[in-house]
Amino acid sequence: MNAAYLRTAAIAVLDVALLLVLSPLFEGVLRKLKAALHSRIGPPVVQPFVDTLKLLGKDDLLTVHSRAYAVTPALALASVLVLGTMVPIGGVPPLGFAGDVVGIIYVAGVGAVLLILTAFASGSPYAAVGGSREMMALLSVEPVVAVTLVVGAMKAGTLSAGGISAWNASHGPTISMTLAGLALFLAVQAQAGKLPFDIPEADQEIMGGPLVEQSGPRLALFRWAMWVRQLVFTLLLVELFFPWPRSGVFLLDLVSALAKAMLVLVLVAVVDVVNPRLKVEQAMGYYLRVAFSSLAALAFAVVGM
Amino acid sequence: MITFRLLEVAAAFLVLGAATAFFTRRRRKVCGWVSVAAMGGAAVLMIAVAVRAFAGAADAEVSVLPIASLRSALSVRVDALSALFLCVSGPVAWMTTLYSVEYMSRYTKDSVAKYFPVLLLLFFSIAGTVVTTDLFWFLVFWEVMTLTSFFLVIYERENRESHRAGLKYFIWNQGAALGMVAAALVLWRHAGSFGFAAIRDALGALQVSNPLLAHTVLFLFFAGFATKAGLLPFWNWLPDAYAAAPSSATAAFGGTMSKLGVYGLLRVFLHLLPLGSFTTSWGVVIACVGLASLFIGTLAALQQDDTKRLMSYHAIGQVGYMFLGIGAGLALLRTNPLLGTMGLVAGLFHMVNNCFYKSCLFLGAGAVEFRTGGRSLAAMSGGLGGVMSATMACSLIASLAIAGVPPLNGFASKWLMYVTGILGGEVSFLLPVAALVAMFISLVTLASFLKYLGGAFLGAATEVKGIREVPMTMLAPQVVLATLCIAAGLLPIVPLRLVHQAVVGLPSAAGLPALSALVGPGPNLALVKDGVVLATWAPMPVALVLLVLGAAAFFGLQRAGGAATRTVPVWAGGEEEEPALMRYRADSLYRPFKDAFHGMYPHVPPLQLSVPVFVRRTLDLDRWLFRPIARGTADAARGVSRTHVGIPQVYLLWIIVGAVAVIMTILLVSGGAP
Amino acid sequence: MLTLALALVLVIPVAGAVMAGVARVGEARGVALRAALVTALLAIGVSWVAYPAGYRVMLAGLPWLEHGSSAGLFGLLLDPLATILLLVATVIGFLTVLYSGGYLQKENQEHSVGAEHHGRFYFWLLAFLASMVGVATAPNFLQLFVFWELTTVCSWSLISFYRSPSSLRAGFKAILMTHAGGLFFMAALLVMFVKTGSFDFDAPARLDGNVRGAVYAFLMIAAWGKAAQVPLNTWLPDAMEAPTPISAYLHAAAMVKAGVYLMARAVSSGWAMPEGVGLVMAIMALVTILIALSFYFVQDDLKRLLAYSTIAHLGYVLLGVAIGALGSPIALQGGALHIICHAFGKATLFLCVGAVAWKTGSRSIAGLRGIARIMPLTATAYFVGVLAVTGIPPFACFWSKFMILAGAMQLASPLGPVIMAVVLIESLVAFGWMLRVGQKVFLGPWTPPADRPLHPLPVSMQIALVALIAGCLVAPVVGIPLVHRIVP
Repeated sequence: MNAAYLRTAAIAVLDVALLLVLSPLFEGVLRKLKAALHSRIGPPVVQPFVDTLKLLGKDDLLTVHSRAYAVTPALALASVLVLGTMVPIGGVPPLGFAGDVVGIIYVAGVGAVLLILTAFASGSPYAAVGGSREMMALLSVEPVVAVTLVVGAMKAGTLSAGGISAWNASHGPTISMTLAGLALFLAVQAQAGKLPFDIPEADQEIMGGPLVEQSGPRLALFRWAMWVRQLVFTLLLVELFFPWPRSGVFLLDLVSALAKAMLVLVLVAVVDVVNPRLKVEQAMGYYLRVAFSSLAALAFAVVGM
Repeated sequence: MITFRLLEVAAAFLVLGAATAFFTRRRRKVCGWVSVAAMGGAAVLMIAVAVRAFAGAADAEVSVLPIASLRSALSVRVDALSALFLCVSGPVAWMTTLYSVEYMSRYTKDSVAKYFPVLLLLFFSIAGTVVTTDLFWFLVFWEVMTLTSFFLVIYERENRESHRAGLKYFIWNQGAALGMVAAALVLWRHAGSFGFAAIRDALGALQVSNPLLAHTVLFLFFAGFATKAGLLPFWNWLPDAYAAAPSSATAAFGGTMSKLGVYGLLRVFLHLLPLGSFTTSWGVVIACVGLASLFIGTLAALQQDDTKRLMSYHAIGQVGYMFLGIGAGLALLRTNPLLGTMGLVAGLFHMVNNCFYKSCLFLGAGAVEFRTGGRSLAAMSGGLGGVMSATMACSLIASLAIAGVPPLNGFASKWLMYVTGILGGEVSFLLPVAALVAMFISLVTLASFLKYLGGAFLGAATEVKGIREVPMTMLAPQVVLATLCIAAGLLPIVPLRLVHQAVVGLPSAAGLPALSALVGPGPNLALVKDGVVLATWAPMPVALVLLVLGAAAFFGLQRAGGAATRTVPVWAGGEEEEPALMRYRADSLYRPFKDAFHGMYPHVPPLQLSVPVFVRRTLDLDRWLFRPIARGTADAARGVSRTHVGIPQVYLLWIIVGAVAVIMTILLVSGGAP
Repeated sequence: MLTLALALVLVIPVAGAVMAGVARVGEARGVALRAALVTALLAIGVSWVAYPAGYRVMLAGLPWLEHGSSAGLFGLLLDPLATILLLVATVIGFLTVLYSGGYLQKENQEHSVGAEHHGRFYFWLLAFLASMVGVATAPNFLQLFVFWELTTVCSWSLISFYRSPSSLRAGFKAILMTHAGGLFFMAALLVMFVKTGSFDFDAPARLDGNVRGAVYAFLMIAAWGKAAQVPLNTWLPDAMEAPTPISAYLHAAAMVKAGVYLMARAVSSGWAMPEGVGLVMAIMALVTILIALSFYFVQDDLKRLLAYSTIAHLGYVLLGVAIGALGSPIALQGGALHIICHAFGKATLFLCVGAVAWKTGSRSIAGLRGIARIMPLTATAYFVGVLAVTGIPPFACFWSKFMILAGAMQLASPLGPVIMAVVLIESLVAFGWMLRVGQKVFLGPWTPPADRPLHPLPVSMQIALVALIAGCLVAPVVGIPLVHRIVP
């Protein structure tokens, strides 16, 4: 029993560390890739680390003083890390005993809530616009995520993320799961905050949106949280809907999951490069269509396909 | 008997407290404190009664005040369901009364004699409604509840809006209550008594002998409860009435009164109605109506600008969640008892949670109104969090709870509901879809309350003079309620045990799976079937990990570099503008999204009562019957009098004419034969 | 002993009337008040003592009307039904006298009345009170008829009290129409006496076939006239020309109740009303309720609104009685209960309107605004009255209406659900309208009039209102045990 606890704890620590380290690295790789597609040289792959380290030491410029406001970046980062431990990475998620897919959907919301609250609290109108857009993005994307996860839950007959992953790995591809996976892939684009769905940040319009008043370590943590978030959602996609091949050896599965995640992120980056930003209404309409289309996956799941 | 005695004392507390409060009305604070004391005493007794009931000390039914010809008597018995409502509404009522003491000083023009005694009587009727086992007295208490709350709605004498709202409220609810009276009488005719037990038998028989009538009866009850709870399509009164009443009273409405709709629903569909096909079909109806309500109500809430109206529309949406859970539970109860129980427990648990956060939210909105006098989010300058930090903290917790942000209590009950819906997919396609809609709406709720928080509390600190934190007696209730939200969120198994006991204590729900079959032994919730974990939610570990990681991130990363903090003004693209000009107003938030759903909320034009003129003329008997008769009689009399001209010759002529006429008549009658 | 007390209940108001009539200017009020108070107290005492068993004594007869039986023709009767009417007549009578003491003053903004008119007023009022006591305690139809006609006479005089042309016309109309009803009563008496040789309450039950139907039908028409039922309903709204306490007492609490009391009495003695008559009565009651309701929405005069409401509620009583005759006694009990419940509720409303008119000089719904500010007690009383009359628990009429409805549901015929639907709809609409009117008149911002002073409401009027508010709550408590004794 104790060994099981220790193992869980060890995996949890490993997951957290991996997410913290790999997410900026992935972002660096993506930047390099995007630059290549733009025919630029681009920043070094470790640039996100460098930026973060530098920001952590910079002055913290605050428009509002309050204890709660002070801790929001740390909590935002922590919430995505918790999310990371609820998502299977190379096998059973360490916090899988605590939260199922419903938990995943809602814990994912916590980070967004903290971001929006920080945006509103900072008092900047740009941040308020950004917060409003963030919320609308959430309203459009989250149903898609929910539908796909529900499809998974219905197919596997369990709500547990690890359970769904294991079921999918052992049962092989099905129509409904594939459709759901595609829908979730489309949702990852927005969850990662990439073009054409980087509407909340929209650097050229509202100067980073929710984060416009964040600086120094606060900005670093929020950015970090966003990178972790994009990695976690990618992992959720590949682990739940494309878990093959599953060897059963933890490290092997971990590496394969990360490699698949990288692949997905490359696709995301390519989409990012070739698309201009959409308007809020367009994005909402797009995801509404995706959500309704993904109901088809639900229908397939109901009839057992 | 002990239960009855305790309730008697509680009732005495409330009624005598109301009387004392009335006689101390000239000293507002004294009046308030008298009410707090009375309500406190009653609340403690109510909790004692509830504890007895939960502990299984089942007291026999006690009947007083018999009305022989109706074969009805005030019968009192506290089962687990009654106990649940007693132990939730007692404390919430106490908290709102405590809050009112200071809050009512806002209303300088209106006497508190219209408030505190009425409030106590409202709580009296609420307690009465949930403890009686006689349908007649249930209706009596029910209507007293409507009556007292009406006077709270129209509290402000000079505010025409609140009168309109109150009138609308009373008419809707009275109409619904009269429908229930009709239903009760139909059942009485068949049962011969108003006792729940007899009516259960009668309804069971009626289901078979006259299904149409049984459906009608159930519909009337459903409409009555749905109206009180503010469910679509009986919602119309709710936002107006909730917004019009003093916030403390609104908190009492939202936290205690409207929840009795849920009580009545469970009482009728799981106590009066024997388990059968009717349960299933009505479960579907209830779930559908609940789903429609939560969808439309919450989307309409997003459009609101007035804080209290916003929360009122959410009350409609929230009650939709409860009805959805209960309806789904009822629908599944026969085919899949596990999921059925899950749905019922989810709906009822959501009711408990809603009592806490909804009243906390209304109290928070009241606190804002108390200090700023405003309720319009667009007009608020924000930044109240800087001066009213404790109020903001409570409102924040309650807002996140209502939006279902883990690990607060709203999520725990929603989780149960989603699990029911998703796992119910094997029964019906509609259940997962309902769960998905509910999830989406939960986000809309979040959006709406972030708007509220942003509009009222967040932003740069307000420079308005005189705004400070509300007094302790107004703060304490909010803190208590917010704490309850956190506690019920972190340890959902404790309230769930009570809720489960309340559900399975009902006759039609007896023999349902034990709670451990649903969510495991606790403290974590885990639905395990055949050794497979189907669903799980463990708030404590999640909260713990979040806190540990948060602390680590704060001390290990955010503050690790020891960066200096500086205060800077808000950056406005280099311009220097007034803060008011720079503010992104709350009504501008989510514009595109709101526009997408604009106008989907049904609007009912006010009904104008009149009777067509020609109908009224026809009904006016004077006009075409009596006045013509009177005039005709008068004319005839005048005609006769005209013959009396006073000339002897004329009289002589009349005599002759008369004599001839008489003789002719005689001759005619006798047929010529003498 | 009881006989003496009961006789005193009848005699004291007569004596009081005479004394008030001849008293010096300014003294009539005190005399009348004392007489009414003693009457009310005695009546309550007598009811208390007689409650368990009921009480009946025959005193004397007319030799030429005796048919062998040695029992007297006249006498006193106090059974539960009579107790209800007696309590209504004396208690509300006393409160009316009390209220009138404040109402008939120079300060009255509507009709200032000098003390020189008090003698005439109190004479008729107490005479009426005595007649009502007579109606309530009559042991047979003959004595009932005598006092019945006396109430009509007193009513005529009181309606015309102000002696304005319109009030004279209203008084005339009232006496014509109620007396037209009275003629049918007399016809019924004659038939009854000729056929059975008796005026006893159960005499109609001893008749057979068509004759019995005719007698009951005649009695019903008499009741229609007295209780202002369709088609003889039009006198009541016009009778609102009377001083408001009179309207409250005669046209809401007492006199019109004599009509419905007659029917309750006729049905409950013998339970032999033919079904056909019962059916007609029930249907006409429903028609009356609806017709009265249709007139609510165009009234601007508060008193006329209340008058139509009274018509509807007398319809309720007759409905209950009719259902009782059709075979469900609980409805008759409910009807009897409605007599006392409605009396208190409606008297409250009328006296409120009187108070408003006393203070502001207006009874116009459109013209009055926000007067709760200056008359909180009156406003409270009005709302209590509305809730009591429209049947919101725990106030009076809820209990009686519920019993009537329960009785309707007991009927085997499909009439039951129809009655229930009509009653519930009427209740809701009437309730909504009366409440709306109350909100219009009493709530909202108040602007003091510039042209006239506002006198404080006299204490006697306030006491009467408080007592009536209490009555709206207590009436069912008193009434329910009483009506439960009315059983076949």
